[in-house]
Amino acid sequence: MDSFRQEKVQRYEEFVDKRLKPDLVRAIAERDKVFEQQKTFSDLRKNIENLEKNSVTSLRTMVNLGSEVYMQADVPDTRHIFVDIGLGFHVEFTWSEALNFISLREEKLARQIEEYTRLIASIKAHIKLVCEGIRELLQLPADGSLQGPVF
Amino acid sequence: MEEAAKKGRVTPLASLFPVEEAQKAVRRVHETLSEKESELDRFRGFISDNTNLINLVQKLPEGLHHNIMVPFGKAAFFPGRLIHTNEFLVLLGEGYHVERTSKQTVEILKRRGKALQSQVESLKATMQDLKAEASFFGITASEAAEGLVEIREDYVEENFTERESQSGPPKEHPPSFSEADKVKVAVEDEEYSCMVSRLDELEKAEYEAGYGNETHEDIENVAVSDEEYARMMSRLDEIEKEPETECGNERDEDEKIKADFDQSSDQISLDKINRFSEEYQSRKLLEQTKDKKSATEETLDKRDTQKDLTDRLNCTGLTVQSRPKEEMSHGKGLVHGIMKSTPLEKALVLPEVKENVQAASSLRSEAPLQDSKPGFDSRKAFTGSIIERAHNMQTSSSQQAATSSQSTVTQPSKPVSRFKMQRR
Repeated sequence: MDSFRQEKVQRYEEFVDKRLKPDLVRAIAERDKVFEQQKTFSDLRKNIENLEKNSVTSLRTMVNLGSEVYMQADVPDTRHIFVDIGLGFHVEFTWSEALNFISLREEKLARQIEEYTRLIASIKAHIKLVCEGIRELLQLPADGSLQGPVF
Repeated sequence: MEEAAKKGRVTPLASLFPVEEAQKAVRRVHETLSEKESELDRFRGFISDNTNLINLVQKLPEGLHHNIMVPFGKAAFFPGRLIHTNEFLVLLGEGYHVERTSKQTVEILKRRGKALQSQVESLKATMQDLKAEASFFGITASEAAEGLVEIREDYVEENFTERESQSGPPKEHPPSFSEADKVKVAVEDEEYSCMVSRLDELEKAEYEAGYGNETHEDIENVAVSDEEYARMMSRLDEIEKEPETECGNERDEDEKIKADFDQSSDQISLDKINRFSEEYQSRKLLEQTKDKKSATEETLDKRDTQKDLTDRLNCTGLTVQSRPKEEMSHGKGLVHGIMKSTPLEKALVLPEVKENVQAASSLRSEAPLQDSKPGFDSRKAFTGSIIERAHNMQTSSSQQAATSSQSTVTQPSKPVSRFKMQRR
């Protein structure tokens, strides 16, 4: 009986360590990526709004050639902008079109983030559940101060 | 068996290095190795990036402008073009940028590439070490698994030292010198250096004599310098050789030779030199005895030094000879014969002895046969160097002419080089 319980506890622990925790880590990494994208698009939106406000039609900027080596670049016409729409495709937009797209995109990204957050929460809940199961198996007292792993 | 059991200890290797532990170590080393491998890959990527960038930077100034998509943030581009294609802004680090031309930028990038390369090299070396470590651990693990044992036995050295102390020092330690040695040890180095400086002096004097033709102020000094020098050199060589020779016998002979010198040549400075040489010699003896106490491979050493010595003699051609033990039998006879003759002749014959040494070291049995044959040649060889003294002696110049082939040093007009050669 005791050995059976031991085995079960071990299996639960393995499930937590080898399945749930890596899942959690992966989900968090995914969400971070989406956060980054959100930031890129919000920056882009701000920049385009800035251009609009100052009605900048030509632009001179520095291009990073790699290894922090820069060269001057000239943009004769800023009214047409190519925006990354995913999967390596870039679409030529005017400013207003770009802003439209960006707001749609931001919305979607926000939804994705929420999804990931929910996923993360559920994984955490699972971990907690299994830990609780282990506690029950070991017939330890349900201690308020000792609440298993905290993430 | 009992004795062995008492003396030695047998430890199975597995008890020192448990198999599992060794295997664990192997695993750990392999982990580190794979880490380093990935780091190396990263560095390789950097290097390839760098070379690509160098190519790009070299190519860009070729055109006045290049049409590109200018990045605007991370997700957007403008169609545009690169301008001012020979102006680069390079980050030096710490937020400092510098404007450079294409060429200068390439230089900077090449330096960076070199740094990367050196890092890669060091990483490779580390990996090599780790591999060796891993293989060592692996071997240890397998040996431990096979049940290898380590046998440890204490080294007993009483017998050895006793024997040495009995046989060693008395043989090589002449009592006449032992007292003086102790006193002199401290000053001998000084004296030796003094002697060398004196030699330098003489060398200079002779040089001046050779070209100035004795117009120098200290004509006296110059006049005697050659002879003095020759003797000094011979003494020096003798002294240098001394440690390799068997002291007891050799010393006697040296004394004899010295006596000969004293008799035949009444150089004032010779006495001084002799004194120097004696002291130096005694120091050498002392050193030798010290050495020999510990050295079991003395004969081996001797053989080596002897060879070295003969080489040197080949160059100088003017020295008293040291003989290995085996040589003593007929070598002594030779030398004794020499003793009776003039110092000049003695010096002449000595190279013969050298020949003997060489012959004896290679083929000992044939040594006596060769005595006669190389004798004349070496005689000739010597005449070349004895010309050194021609200022006083005026030995035959015709002999000198005949020497050409055999003589190693035949240029009396250029004595300086010979000095240097002899003293090296």
